[in-house]
Amino acid sequence: MTTVIPFGPQHPVLPEPVSLKLEIDNDVVVGALPSLGYVHRGLEKFIDTKDYNQTTYICERICGICSALHGITYTRAVEKLFDVEIPERAQYIRVIVGELNRIHSHLLWLGLFADGFGFESLFYECWKYREGVLDVLERITGNRVIHSISKVGGVTKDLTNEHIDMIEKMLDTVEAQVKNIEKVFVNNYTVKKRCVGLATMSKQLAYEAGTAGPTLRGSGNAIDVRNTPDWDIYKDLGFKTAVEQDGDCYARTKVRITELYESIKLIRNALSKLPNGDIATPIKGFPTGEAIMRTEQPRGEVVYYVKGNGTKNLQRLKVRTPTFANIPSLLLTLPGVKLADVPIVVLTIDPCISCTER
Amino acid sequence: MGMLNLVLTNISRKPATRLYPFEIREPFKEFKGSIVFNPENCILCGLCQKKCPPDAITVTKADKTWEINLFRCIMCTECVANCPKDCLSVSNQRTKTGAKETLKVSVPIVDKPKAAKASSK
Repeated sequence: MTTVIPFGPQHPVLPEPVSLKLEIDNDVVVGALPSLGYVHRGLEKFIDTKDYNQTTYICERICGICSALHGITYTRAVEKLFDVEIPERAQYIRVIVGELNRIHSHLLWLGLFADGFGFESLFYECWKYREGVLDVLERITGNRVIHSISKVGGVTKDLTNEHIDMIEKMLDTVEAQVKNIEKVFVNNYTVKKRCVGLATMSKQLAYEAGTAGPTLRGSGNAIDVRNTPDWDIYKDLGFKTAVEQDGDCYARTKVRITELYESIKLIRNALSKLPNGDIATPIKGFPTGEAIMRTEQPRGEVVYYVKGNGTKNLQRLKVRTPTFANIPSLLLTLPGVKLADVPIVVLTIDPCISCTER
Repeated sequence: MGMLNLVLTNISRKPATRLYPFEIREPFKEFKGSIVFNPENCILCGLCQKKCPPDAITVTKADKTWEINLFRCIMCTECVANCPKDCLSVSNQRTKTGAKETLKVSVPIVDKPKAAKASSK
């Protein structure tokens, strides 16, 4: 006989509300039914009242953690409508802020994950390291969380030499700190006992379920937007995709730790190659036509669709976020998992519900 | 042994947090804290109101006032970037808790350019 146990919308491990109705048979999950819609804010409709420049600020407020990358993706999509090439310095600054955003997002996730299996001191340690990154972001962009770095045609703020020195110093510190927590996440007996072999997804299944980001790469698929011609600036920076073959919770954690090192390397390369010049091109007129743009966020691939009709307001904006793509994989992997392990499995897709519901 | 090292360093280390209400960190000089309006050069053109994404700024030409709703302002600094007379600037001091919702400033001026235009005609 099965019992239905509600998991969420309010649950200690969930920072945001998502409800899963778990069918339990003798402490083992046999089925799960998600229900979403607790934080729907209607942002895609809200753009009707704002012009295409102001929409950047709405897009940044879709998510608090990956806000810079939402703004960057939107502005890149609108630039595609106008068919303009933005200055190279602006592209590099976008990469630097985007990767700093990824570092702070991954450190946040590692902390939450540690909290998920009850490792409180590791949780505090991860969040302490994240503060250093946030301080640097606050000094570069002027804001702690919603950075507002990207605008249509370029970036809003330039990097000074003082900022560059500060970022380099911070990267050295963060690299040492990540090495410190990597030891625990990769070698610790408790962590391994909780994660290895849990909720395994095969390479084929991960691909067919349409997952994105570290969930996809943890199962052995080397798919990353930063590797494709869609964002070709990464080709010059020597980007390498982080892949793990096992497809379990442990592999997804290792992918994120490897990505931290990768981001640190990318920022160092971008700073050393940072060209001089303008940070924005002026853009005149109103957008027409339609465009699709995708970017790699900390949680996976985000897709923006924009349609302009020659007026100052966009006719349509559609966002497909990585968590939306990852929720089906949760329903495929949860059956067979013990009830006590459900929080860990839910956390490994890095759920961001505000993104998903917009 | 690793454990003992950790314990000893943690005992001798300062806490990572601040004792907040008594010890407050100075804001960074780049921090976008609040919008400062200098009414001297303002010509009441209303560009800041037009560009403001959350509709926080209201410019009333009839009463010669410039008004900002501090609770709506998202500190995007669009108004600062678009002001033709550089009346607006950013300060790194954030708005104090318990501030009034709106800040209304009366603008001293603007008859000069109009008068010049009339005389040239």
